[in-house]
Formats: sequence, C-alpha cells, structure tokens
Amino acid sequence: MRVLIYGCNRLTTSLVPDLTGEGIEITVLGAERDCLESVATHPGVRVVLTAEPMMQDYLQEGGINHSDVFLAMSSDDHQNILVAQIAKHIYNVPKVVCHLGNPQLQVLYAALGLDVVGYSFGILQDVRQAIEG
Amino acid sequence: MYVVIVGCSESGYHLSKALIAGGHEVVVIEKDTKRFQLLTEELGSVALLGDGTDEVTLKRAGVSRADVVVSLTGIDATNLVISQMTKHIFKVPRTMALIKDPKNEPIFHEVGVDLVVNSTHLALASLEEGVPGRPLVHLMNLRVPGMELVSVSIPADSNIVGKRLSEIELPPNSFISLMIKKSGATLPTGRSVVEAEDELVAVTPAGDEQILYDILTGV
Repeated sequence: MRVLIYGCNRLTTSLVPDLTGEGIEITVLGAERDCLESVATHPGVRVVLTAEPMMQDYLQEGGINHSDVFLAMSSDDHQNILVAQIAKHIYNVPKVVCHLGNPQLQVLYAALGLDVVGYSFGILQDVRQAIEG
Repeated sequence: MYVVIVGCSESGYHLSKALIAGGHEVVVIEKDTKRFQLLTEELGSVALLGDGTDEVTLKRAGVSRADVVVSLTGIDATNLVISQMTKHIFKVPRTMALIKDPKNEPIFHEVGVDLVVNSTHLALASLEEGVPGRPLVHLMNLRVPGMELVSVSIPADSNIVGKRLSEIELPPNSFISLMIKKSGATLPTGRSVVEAEDELVAVTPAGDEQILYDILTGV
C-alpha cells in the first residue's frame, strides 16, 4: 500500500511510526527539513522537501498518481483542503483523509464528502456522545 | 448587483472602485487593519474589517444575499475555501476566484467555482500579445483538463496562406473554431480559405500548441 502524507509536523511524526509496516510505502511531503529528517529514519519512508509555489509538481513527485491513501496533515487548513480535493477529484486517490482544525470547515468539508479528522472535530462528537450517554 | 469582494489587493481596490462607479452595491472584506483604513478613506463605508474565511464575518457582510462573491486574497487555497463556503453555506449563485498557480485551475472548476481567473495566464496573454513575432495568444484554459483556447494570427509569409482549412493537417484533437477576417468573424468550414493577417481561434491540447503554431505560421 502506498501512502502519501502532505505536511510534516508533530502529527506526522506520531503518525508515521504507527503506519509503517510490511508492504507499506510512505512518502512525506513537507517544508520543514528537521521534521523530514526525523521521519526519514523509519523504514520504508521517503521524504520530499517542498516549497509552496510548485505544490502540484511535488504532489506528482510524491507519487500521487499511484497512491492508495492520501493524508493532508499540514497545520494549514486551507492548503489541506486544496491538496485533499486535488487528490480526491483530480487524481482519484481511493482514500483521502483531511486534517482540519477549524470546526466550521470540519462541518462543511465533511458534508462535501471529505474524510475529515481533527482534534476539535473529535471533541464535538465526544461531548455530544457524553451528553447523550 | 450586490458584490462581495474578499481580500483587497490592489486589483481588488480597482475592481471595487469600478463596480461602485458602475452603480453596483459593493462590500469589501479585508482583515489587514492598515489596508482596511486605507479602503475606508478611499471608498467610504464599503469596507468591512474581518476574516473572510470566517462564517460570522461573511454573515455580517450579508453574503447570503450577494449575487457574486469574488475571492482575491492572493492565496489560491484560501480563495478556494471562500468560494466553497459562500457557495455551500450561503448559497451564493456565482463565485469567482483569482488564482496564481495555473495548475490549480482544474480543481477550482471541478468543485464548482463558477469563474476562475488565472492571473499568470492573463499576464502571459498580455505579454504574448505585446511581443511582435510571437502571434500565439492564450485565451483561456478549458474545463477539460489540459485543453486550451488559443488565438494565432497568420503572417503573410505563412505556408498556409491561400489554402483551404481542409488542406491543412492539424495535430490530433486540435480544431480551428473561429476565423476572424478583416470583414468580421466567421465560423470556419473545410472550404474556408486562410488569408494573411487572419486570426484563427483554435482549441488545442496544452502540449501541442507549439506544433499547432508551427503548422499555422510555418514558412
């Protein structure tokens, strides 16, 4: 399985060791050199250093064409929304997950069909579940 | 017409000024305090200080009764989010966004942004128009990914002057869709004859424009 991750931050560094395993190829795209170096120490992980103006070229370099899973995990909600929708609608990646911090955007893009994850998104559901018992 | 403009770069300022002069109702949302003050001094009460990606600000701007929302923040991703928020949450009938990276154009069309203005493309087109001896002008990217509309003016020494269109072998998937002669524009047929200084508007795959250009202007 090929996993392409957009964004390198604390979320990525926790996620990568959790995902690595036999037959899993992970590529991480990010602008943060130190973070990329640290995730590159895991087996089966390839990293690509990016700069924003050529984002779509980096997506191709990261192998978006033949990725099975795309994870938009950067700390910039708007960039995550852009690249996640490119992965889903332009490259037809079978599984696209988008991290969003802003609850308004979480609700909107979940309704528009993205698989949205986010801290406060989970919290809202947890609170509702706690109330409803 | 009620127009909400989000993000006020210089082009946003000139756009709002022209719209106001044309009798339209305009609100400009700007989050930078300095720019907001400048706008208020120059344009009066049309400026609204706030983040145009926040639902509360959009509500305050009366976006739900806007005829058009124009996203000009200068960041492609942010313009995409504003267009989608205003379209889906506030049911704005027409959304328009300015983009910088031409490769982002297909996703904007795909998610339903009504009008996508590609600033790089515009600059390129004006540049090409202004440079003599390079008479191929990009008019627009089509919704079909990778296809574009171009215009080629035919130099007097071109091989195809005096030929019928049916005699000219174009690259696959390239079509001459309009012929502009001195007498006016005509829909071309196979029998249309190319004359010097004709303007041919063609649909072509992005990668083939050089081939098309060489065929139409080659000596």
